[in-house]
Amino acid sequence: MAAEGSFLPGVHIVSGDVGSGKSTLATALAGMMQPAGGTITRDGIGSQMLSFQFPEYHITGLTVGEECRSWSRDPGPVLRECRLAGRGGVSPFALSRGELKRLHLACVLPGRYDLLVLDEPFSSLDVEEKERICREISVRKHGITIIFTHEQAIFPKTDFLWEISGGNLRYRGKVPDALTGWEHAPQVIKNLIASGRCPGNITKMDILEAACRT
Amino acid sequence: MQDVRLRIASAAVLSAAAFSGLWGAAGAFTWWVVMCSPGVTRGTLRRIAAPFALVSVFGAVIWFTGGPGFSYVARMGVILLVGSWVYDEYRPGEFLDLSVWLLGDGIGFDLGLVAEMGMQCLEILVADFSRIRVALALKGKTRGLRALVPAGFILIHGTLARAGDTASALAVRGYRGGGTLKPGFLTGRFDIPGFISALFVGILAFAPVSEFFILYR
Repeated sequence: MAAEGSFLPGVHIVSGDVGSGKSTLATALAGMMQPAGGTITRDGIGSQMLSFQFPEYHITGLTVGEECRSWSRDPGPVLRECRLAGRGGVSPFALSRGELKRLHLACVLPGRYDLLVLDEPFSSLDVEEKERICREISVRKHGITIIFTHEQAIFPKTDFLWEISGGNLRYRGKVPDALTGWEHAPQVIKNLIASGRCPGNITKMDILEAACRT
Repeated sequence: MQDVRLRIASAAVLSAAAFSGLWGAAGAFTWWVVMCSPGVTRGTLRRIAAPFALVSVFGAVIWFTGGPGFSYVARMGVILLVGSWVYDEYRPGEFLDLSVWLLGDGIGFDLGLVAEMGMQCLEILVADFSRIRVALALKGKTRGLRALVPAGFILIHGTLARAGDTASALAVRGYRGGGTLKPGFLTGRFDIPGFISALFVGILAFAPVSEFFILYR
């Protein structure tokens, strides 16, 4: 795939079909893989983190509590936050994929990274948890957050939209102006735009507000 | 070598020849240079680098304790090259063909299925390991036992979970053991000469050649 562009501070959503190269680009942007050609410059990036779609890859602790500490997090509040209180002594492999994803995101999201790349952060999560994660991402004020996802329902407050189509990364622009050219937009957003009620952003509340607009 | 029957038979003969002694290893290495080295890639060499390093450590231990360390490293090195060649030439489905051809639709089908699943698993393990290395690097744990232990846990757990899922999927689809398959093989132009030359290396390694050369005796 080919990619060209600049990621400015704020929340970016990169959408694309399954197999379009999102994970590959995420790994390259985080500096964990060299592109076949060209360069990726990380200007002013002192700290960075990449969160894989499958949280198992990140496990280094033999217990859930150890796993929290491996991210320099206090297990008590983290486990309460991700509804795993009292399970600090069990193996991370004893958790379901969804529970592990909750634990992983609860450890990663509070980090003050200059660049945070999240590869499919909403996979394996229920609606309630997706909304909670979106709220956390929406309040991030520091650095660049890039979310690679094919999610079609629940999004955080987003500043910039990108998508991968035809093997190319395409910049769609700033939200909400970018919404009209967003190929992978959820049907509800397409319908709202078609009826002349473009939402101010892509969060659930923004979509509801546009839908109720008279 | 396209024909998996001849390829596996050649590999078995060459591995046994290489393991039998230095002359056998030299013969098998010569065969590998002639038959396989044109297709060797950087990936092939990278793949055998880690097991070769491990073999070298064992060789050094044998050498320090007064044993034939160099011979061990040379013989095992050639076996690794032959094994890597078999892996490079593998095409999905051919172990199932080979196993059914050899042992029939019952146990042959089951063993072939296991072999195919094992090969598929190897590819997944390689991909998983590269992601785990990235994840460990992000946590600043790149080397030593502290990195190896969690990586091993993740790989073993993932493999067992996948094996369980595959078993369930097979059971749900009605698999109870055995199956029907009409194995098919393609024999390339150089397959039979390649196999005969491998056989020749094996004969030279194991036959009491000196019995035939009176002058040598």
